[in-house]
Amino acid sequence: MPVDRHQIENFLYREARLMDEHAYDEWLSLWTEDALYWVPCNEDDIDPQRHVSIIYDNRARLEDRIERLKSGAAYAQDPKSRLRRVVSNVESEEGDNGEITVYANFNLTELRRGRQDTFAGRTIYKLRPQGAGFKIAYKKVLLVNNDEVIDNLTFLI
Amino acid sequence: MTIMQPQIDYEALVQEDRVHGSVYTDLLIFAEEMEKIFYRGWVYVGHAGEIPQPGDYRLKKIGQQSVIMVRDEDSQVQLLMNRCRHRANTVCQIERGNTKVFRCAYHGWTYRNSGDLLSVTYQDGYDKSFRKEDYGLTKVPRMAMYRGFIFASLSPAGITLDEYLGQPVKEQLDLFIDLSPEGELDVTAGVHKYGYQGNWKFQAENAMDGYHPNFVHQTFFTALQKRTGTKLDLFTSHSTGLTRDLGNGHVMLDSREYNKANSHLLRAALPTTPGGQDYREAMVQRYGQERAEEILTAGGTHMLVFPNLILIGVQIRVVQPMSVAETQVFLYPTLLKGVAPEMNAARLRGHEAFFGPAGKGAVDDLEMFERNQVGLSAQVDPWLVLSRGLHRERRDTDGTLVARMTDEVTQRGIWRQWKRMMSQGVVEAPMRWQMRASAGGR
Repeated sequence: MPVDRHQIENFLYREARLMDEHAYDEWLSLWTEDALYWVPCNEDDIDPQRHVSIIYDNRARLEDRIERLKSGAAYAQDPKSRLRRVVSNVESEEGDNGEITVYANFNLTELRRGRQDTFAGRTIYKLRPQGAGFKIAYKKVLLVNNDEVIDNLTFLI
Repeated sequence: MTIMQPQIDYEALVQEDRVHGSVYTDLLIFAEEMEKIFYRGWVYVGHAGEIPQPGDYRLKKIGQQSVIMVRDEDSQVQLLMNRCRHRANTVCQIERGNTKVFRCAYHGWTYRNSGDLLSVTYQDGYDKSFRKEDYGLTKVPRMAMYRGFIFASLSPAGITLDEYLGQPVKEQLDLFIDLSPEGELDVTAGVHKYGYQGNWKFQAENAMDGYHPNFVHQTFFTALQKRTGTKLDLFTSHSTGLTRDLGNGHVMLDSREYNKANSHLLRAALPTTPGGQDYREAMVQRYGQERAEEILTAGGTHMLVFPNLILIGVQIRVVQPMSVAETQVFLYPTLLKGVAPEMNAARLRGHEAFFGPAGKGAVDDLEMFERNQVGLSAQVDPWLVLSRGLHRERRDTDGTLVARMTDEVTQRGIWRQWKRMMSQGVVEAPMRWQMRASAGGR
């Protein structure tokens, strides 16, 4: 079955909106049970078993992250970051196992406590078709600044 | 010519039970800190394990000065000022790499990775008195190492590193390193880099603060309890954990007694950890039963080596002051040589859970530091109170000062050393101007 490009883009836009608007539970519901959420540190291509990552969340750690953000005591998000991002340059390829690999770039503006920052990067997804939509089985975020000082990355990226 | 500036009265600013807010905000005090603490004293620069091969280098900073930490062709570690001897251009631009030579792009002077001057372009422009051996990259005046931990001082004279660290600090370093059954750390697992708009001492003090975790890190402990079923009561007023002042500004949170009471958890967990049983056997093989138990129970350390080195959990953390109200922090999670890859991966996952810019703990500390810096702008009553536990401090059998986990023994220890170093002599004015000019930002 050919992949519907619009369907993929709509999914990415929705995910972006949920992250921008801190819709934590809805965002978590996009993920599979065996999910991996990965933001490498220092370089894009590292071996996560012997090199530190910025984020390397399985489902349990992802749930802890969301619990924490919802608790009201995650001070690095009190006050919350104001966020808006643009997702573009979408490409996709279908794998043998039914998963669709999606590549997209993003540009994100973050404003918090009077300081405005820009984050940009490339995201690689593995999406699993489910019902009328998709679930995220894998998401790797290649931050342009993953080898620089980052003060606060506690919002969803 | 030395222009005498009015001397700052550090005796008045730092008292036994309080410090004045200006120690975190005053530009002149910051400039003096760079000179008196970061240049005259010993500071941590990096770990030899970051540069295992000849030619491996890292760009580092001593205070605000750019330094190359490099392993030369003879496998010797060198600390070289990153400044061409000709007209002060940087000879190294990249944070990490491997090279045989450092070449200044400006006029082409080229240095060996030992710092020796290899060649000067169009050398006929200098007369016969010019000798290449006089123009090698300038070496840091003093460098000393303890089991791979590289320290430096820009002052050619002063106490030795050995005297500065003292026995208690070396014992803690040993506990951190000897978690490896080969007695060696692998420091090639990368680095978390974060920063905050606040004074550098907030990081030094807070890392050794046993009072804040139950409040600032409540979210982390809640999640931990949910996952493991264990309630961590280390950071309470009645905990068996201690705050300990090891002398010379080196301080620690000592949870060895607490861990001992809970060591059945460790004993139960190790055999089920992949590689855990082999690990325990390798540790006993190397260190003997008794010492192996001591190392495993301590589980590393939780220590500040004044002023800029922090060891917590698996990590080597470096505090880098950028200006009076801007700080960068570098966290190097270490791997253990001689253990199963799964154990090292578990070290990394454990580290990432709490630390780094997207972790679930340390970022909340950074938020506290920034709020602290804003709070200091309210100066009608400028004092910060550090009297907690002053009435119940005691000398332990080894001579170190201890009190309860939530007491401020550690902060008071840091401030005593700070005052001692800051009270020594006057900084010459030109040095001050240079430092104030360079205190402007990243």
